[in-house]
Amino acid sequence: MAVNVRVRDKDSLAVFLGWFSIGLGTAQLAAPRLLCKLVGANTDGRAPTVMRLLGARELTQGTGILARPRPTMWVWSRVAGDGLDLALLGLTAAKNRRLRTAVAIANVAAVAVPDVYESRFLSRRRGPVRGAMLVRKAVTINLQQSEVEQAWAAAAELRRKVEENGASVSFGEAPGGRGTEVNVEFVHDPPAGDLGAVALKLAGKDLATQLADDLRRFKQHTETGQVLRSDATPDGHLLAEHLKQRAARPLEEAVR
Amino acid sequence: MKATCWMGRNTVEVDDVPDPKILNERDAIVRVTSTAICGSDLHLVDGYVPTMKRGDIMGHEFMGEVVETGKGVSNLNEGDRVVVPFPISCGACWACENELFSLCENSNPNARLAEKLFGFPTAGIFGYSHLTGGFAGGQAEYVRVPFADVGPIRIENGISDESVLFLSDILPTGYMGAEFCEIKGGEVIAIWGAGPVGQFAAASAKLLGAERVILIDRFAYRLRIAQENLDIETLNYEDVDSVPETLKELTGGRGPDACIDAVGLESHYHGPAYAYDRVKQALRQETERPFALREAIMSCRNGGVVSVIGVYGGLMDKFPIGAVMNRGLTIKSGQCHVQRYMKPLLDRILEGDIDPSFIITHRIPLTDAPRGYDLFKRKQDDCLKVVLKP
Repeated sequence: MAVNVRVRDKDSLAVFLGWFSIGLGTAQLAAPRLLCKLVGANTDGRAPTVMRLLGARELTQGTGILARPRPTMWVWSRVAGDGLDLALLGLTAAKNRRLRTAVAIANVAAVAVPDVYESRFLSRRRGPVRGAMLVRKAVTINLQQSEVEQAWAAAAELRRKVEENGASVSFGEAPGGRGTEVNVEFVHDPPAGDLGAVALKLAGKDLATQLADDLRRFKQHTETGQVLRSDATPDGHLLAEHLKQRAARPLEEAVR
Repeated sequence: MKATCWMGRNTVEVDDVPDPKILNERDAIVRVTSTAICGSDLHLVDGYVPTMKRGDIMGHEFMGEVVETGKGVSNLNEGDRVVVPFPISCGACWACENELFSLCENSNPNARLAEKLFGFPTAGIFGYSHLTGGFAGGQAEYVRVPFADVGPIRIENGISDESVLFLSDILPTGYMGAEFCEIKGGEVIAIWGAGPVGQFAAASAKLLGAERVILIDRFAYRLRIAQENLDIETLNYEDVDSVPETLKELTGGRGPDACIDAVGLESHYHGPAYAYDRVKQALRQETERPFALREAIMSCRNGGVVSVIGVYGGLMDKFPIGAVMNRGLTIKSGQCHVQRYMKPLLDRILEGDIDPSFIITHRIPLTDAPRGYDLFKRKQDDCLKVVLKP
């Protein structure tokens, strides 16, 4: 059986390059003079305007890479951009003869390596575009399958969440008498690609994180009859609560 | 109630805090009668274990009297005298069923946080950072004990607190460290660290049948206490050039059959490498200062066992994996599965095989906890173990 969890065309290097473009582009648009200074160009005249244009280009490329499922041309456009940047820096170096320009050239050359690598990698992709990602969250519960299925039937809230998000659940006996595996699978295909998913993920509100928490609580409840709370986490497992955790000491008021 | 609280790096205070309440059905509330400061508490105070929060109540070695039980606890009654194991364990998951209690799958509400750092989460622990659940600890007048129907062991006769208190952590921890060494009779065991856990590991190795036990430290008083109470040899590492060389010559050129690291992440060393790791640790470029572990690996005989019961927090530098792999060493490690050892070790104590109270050097009121921490940390006044009385 082929393991097809999390298979898609875009890999983590492409995502990294996308975010790199967005970061650099934002800096170029927001502080063009500082960037000019950093690369040893003039800070007056046409240079800051050129820097802003380059920033706009980076932002477009970054958005394209993150939003498209198979961003082959977008990553190639980064390679072309590297060529343009090197040409402009070459002109600057010939004119101003500053060490900083040489450092900037070295940096562009360094990032051109993964750009070319990733472009060639994506160019080798054939067949239908696989933009969606199959996400699986699994937990093993130390009980018979019938008992776990019964508990699942009773977990109305969790079942509703799974159904509403078009996820599917399957049960199977774990090898070696280790209990029952509960697998929840769904297809992750946000409309704006990685660009849209990141905000939810940072807030811990993406479906994968929520399901991981929910399955942990389901396991706890099924195995021990309760969801354990601590003084610091009076609500039990919830990623969203992790950042605002209380000190580990008894609460003034019992919270429910 | 009064409780010992972590108030930032190098600061503990005794504060007035609310009394604990039952939060889950399987909880009990215990009135603490004796509690101790553990070497691993020092790692928390020194700021080497991440995710402590200002105001956290410390302490994971404690015993006392049950004063309230949740409706899911049927095996304990008000007035029962209990020792509470430091890992919080549900008793129902696969890990608990296989007696891997410190790896309980259901007792850490911050499992996701622990998963990020360690790959998989570990059990909840009392008063031991938010990585292990954010549970209030036992250096207090009262403590809430989750899964009270699983962990606490009842102490039924009039045996003193001091003789059984260390069943909560360090006696089982030392014992597990010795058990890892696969002692069949006739072995030579070297132990780094003559703190309480090292002392108990030495005692346990003897109980299990080791022929020779060599305990290594730099504090003469700790080695003296070991010599006075245990039938073992000692080695002050500041008196020798190289511990691995010395151990080799002391064992006919073979090396000890098994080495126990009972030191952990804040070890000391006498040589230039100390500066290297001390600076990296201070700059948070690594979490460990692993001299004892490196020496244990380099000292162990070919094909031997390295037992790691000293606490480590994250990442270390210059790990001699080449020695481990090529010389066929086995590393065994873990936070102690205390619940597995409490009953058999209580029997050992009752039969007079061991009296763990020999390590206690200081008995002070809970309100004096900051002084206790200071004495223990600075090794002042020949301090080996501090017991706090609420």
